[in-house]
Amino acid sequence: MKVMGIGNASREHAIAEALERSKHHPMIFWLAEIRNPGIFEICKRSGGEFALSKTTAPEKVASHAEKWGVDFVIVGPEEPNFHGVPDELERRGIPCVGASRDVAMIEMSKAEMRRLQWEYGIKGKLLFKTFRSSQEAYTVLERYSDTLTWLQNIALKPARQAGGKGVKVVEDQQLYLHDEKQRFKSKHADWLEGYMKSYSDIDDKILVEEKVWGPEYTLQCFADGNCIKGMPLVQDNKHAHEFDIGTETGGMGSISGPGFTLPFITKEEYQESLEIVRALVKAIQDKTGKIYHGVVAGQMMLTEIEGPTIIEMYSRFGDPEALNVLGLLKTDFVDVCLAIIDGRLSKLDIEFDDKATVVKAIAPKGYPDNRDLAKNHLVSVDEQVIRQENCKLYWGSASLSEGGEILSAGSRLVEILAMSDDIQRASRIVDKCVPYVKLLDGWGLFYRSDIGSHELLSKRIDIADRVRRLYQYRRSKGILGKRIDWLPRVGKMDPVALLKDELSKSKEGG
Amino acid sequence: MAGIFGFYAFGEERENWDSKKFVYYGLSALQGRGQEAASLALYNYEANSLEWASGDGLVENVFGRIEQERARGFLGLGQVSIEKGDYVIRVEEPIQLALAGDGKPALHDDRHASFQMFAETLSNKLHEMKDPMGAAKSLIEDVRGGYSFIALTKDQKMICGRDGHGIKPLEVGAIGFDIGAVASESSALDVIGAEHSGYIRPGEVVVLDPLSIERKCFFNKNHAHCSFEYVYLARPDSYLNSISVSKVREMIGKKLAEENPVKSDIVIGVPDTATPFAMAYSDCSGIPVRLGFTRTGRHVRSAIKPSQFERIVGVQLKLNPIRASVDGRDIVLIDDSVVRGNTLRNTVYNLKRKGAKKVHVRVGSPPLIARCPFGTEVPQEDELIGRALSNNEIAEITGADTFSYLSIDGLIDSIGLPKGSLCMGCFTGRYPEGSL
Repeated sequence: MKVMGIGNASREHAIAEALERSKHHPMIFWLAEIRNPGIFEICKRSGGEFALSKTTAPEKVASHAEKWGVDFVIVGPEEPNFHGVPDELERRGIPCVGASRDVAMIEMSKAEMRRLQWEYGIKGKLLFKTFRSSQEAYTVLERYSDTLTWLQNIALKPARQAGGKGVKVVEDQQLYLHDEKQRFKSKHADWLEGYMKSYSDIDDKILVEEKVWGPEYTLQCFADGNCIKGMPLVQDNKHAHEFDIGTETGGMGSISGPGFTLPFITKEEYQESLEIVRALVKAIQDKTGKIYHGVVAGQMMLTEIEGPTIIEMYSRFGDPEALNVLGLLKTDFVDVCLAIIDGRLSKLDIEFDDKATVVKAIAPKGYPDNRDLAKNHLVSVDEQVIRQENCKLYWGSASLSEGGEILSAGSRLVEILAMSDDIQRASRIVDKCVPYVKLLDGWGLFYRSDIGSHELLSKRIDIADRVRRLYQYRRSKGILGKRIDWLPRVGKMDPVALLKDELSKSKEGG
Repeated sequence: MAGIFGFYAFGEERENWDSKKFVYYGLSALQGRGQEAASLALYNYEANSLEWASGDGLVENVFGRIEQERARGFLGLGQVSIEKGDYVIRVEEPIQLALAGDGKPALHDDRHASFQMFAETLSNKLHEMKDPMGAAKSLIEDVRGGYSFIALTKDQKMICGRDGHGIKPLEVGAIGFDIGAVASESSALDVIGAEHSGYIRPGEVVVLDPLSIERKCFFNKNHAHCSFEYVYLARPDSYLNSISVSKVREMIGKKLAEENPVKSDIVIGVPDTATPFAMAYSDCSGIPVRLGFTRTGRHVRSAIKPSQFERIVGVQLKLNPIRASVDGRDIVLIDDSVVRGNTLRNTVYNLKRKGAKKVHVRVGSPPLIARCPFGTEVPQEDELIGRALSNNEIAEITGADTFSYLSIDGLIDSIGLPKGSLCMGCFTGRYPEGSL
């Protein structure tokens, strides 16, 4: 059997490794934009090949797949999905585990995803507005901040998935700091407009959503067009630094288990989240007439206003979340892929180990905002020590040179996975391995020691308890999802009704 | 004593933040830790240098029209202090830096002079070692005392740390994906809309720079958190070292009711600190709590006023008794602490003038008998009534019918930390080993 993968991060290394573990012993072929040392090694070992190529050019990818004569392709990152790589492969009769362009819209356009959710009445929604320019955004933010009070506390995002960058959450609750925050909001709208110039595949540029608070978690699922199967929940940590401070990253580390839920998410909430993801996939299939087969993930938050709520969708595994679930996967991953391709997922029993997992990313200083600084440092890793600790190291943004040297490539360099009986123990095991990853020129690396610590975990549990009390109360009163406001002289305002009105008008208007 | 606050913006758009207002409101929230001086330092990006502003008085008087303050910058720190002229330390050479400090390093008798030496040493070490983590490490290894500090250097590094015992608090929070904030108390983080995310550990150094946050814990000395923070110094809405100040004060009220019960008609707390003690005392004893006093003018922390005159005036203005609450009744009067006894004497006298039949004084902390070498303003030992006199004598002098303190064990139980992890120096005269 021959299998081909696409992509070059730690997530893809984990995918390649899961394929390698299969009893089918596939020959593994790979296309990537940098030579990831881990994937390169797996390809070599399995008798396959590794080639450098643009991964978002459907023709190129499909030609490689044809040349190698692979049985199926699995796509790691989102951009090949957005560019129609799965579509081209299927056109040429090559099966693919990866969301085709039309259904991957639920990730590519955060605005379209939200519209779909409102149109189909799927739970876990947020109020939102989209804008085509920053001027338009701050005119509305200024003008309506008195009548649409939710516009005070917002998340300002690029309307398109843009490499997990550009999200700002501005809680503008204190009147005495309003000027500062308002100024920051408009400056960020400008920044977003500039940033979105490089993406011409979408009309909406800026997305504004109501700000919510609560614990976040990722629910990753396998999808074959008929059936959605959920994996264990994972919680990623987006802040670059300790204490949950600092810039948004792709994720500095993630925790899971033991079992399918997290210490701060209940079984019922898992089930509700799964229903939401299911409904959304059904809706996009219905809307586009296309089948969703691949991996789909809900980046969720437990919120006061809606209970389990979608923050964003992924049309693929999360990174680092992929490492947690693939590390736990007991069922043969090739069998899972084949079931997705053949639409037999409902008949396959997918099993996961019952352990807790912790993944931590290690990145050179400069990530995520000054990647040039993080690039081109010679890397040394003592993989033996890491193996002795029963940890697994997954290469990320690292490039293997012809001469066998490894250079950092600007993003998260490696991710280390540990499994144990509980999260805190797994976290400590990863910490022990961290010093064995080094940059030989002395440039600094950073990682988050606090991920999976007792302190951070108790903080998440505390927040979840508070949010749970609030949304369960709202549910018991029958007001879950309602947002009614009263304004002196104006009267009652229902932002939900206003939004629905706006959406149906714009639909009629074409 | 002082309150310190630091603000650090991250990311590509950090220049769009001006820390000035955040520092202003952060310091306002910490005003209870020092009402005599306020100062701040900001990193000015355009000029690539630090700028200072300072004055004597309340934050709002010193920086009343903060919009007009010339200084501007996306990194900043500030300090309020109980001593006039005790401003954020300014060091120009060899590395320009600003330093705000709470507590006192054991380098000099005077708090300000001590932090001056501390900051100069930090500047020198930064210059020699080129490594902020190493410099701060060697500094806190060398310097005894009880202190926490926030330093800001011209090359955009914020270095924060606590002494090895963790005597003085230092809490950490975040706003969105943009801002890290450090403060003496978590309530200052609430006030600027930050999420409280944890605390800097005893002997830990945290270095914030534009590319990373590094934290390292260098000591495993006995923890010795200041117990007086929980009794009096901190705000009830703060968490210090993960412990809610309000919860401690509730426990103290409960303990007081258990340790020295007395029959009475009502319970009154001396505002503001002792109000929660009185409420919990009432819950536990079943004796109803009443509002006993109304204040004239603004909230003043009378106990930390520098002169006797100001303290008495502070108390007299603060504590006008409400006659209808006290007339003809037996009263349990709860105060947080007794220093010299003269304000208490004044209070008991006023209550009796307004018709109180009996006044039973209960104090929410053990007798203050010793100085604080870590910068908390406790008077000369021969000025401390708890050191000089017995309970009966104090009752006689203040005009109280009965008088008793909270026991030392009662205080330890109320805080809920193991006995060995608190500094009880002002109540026992014994200070954490190796701190002096």
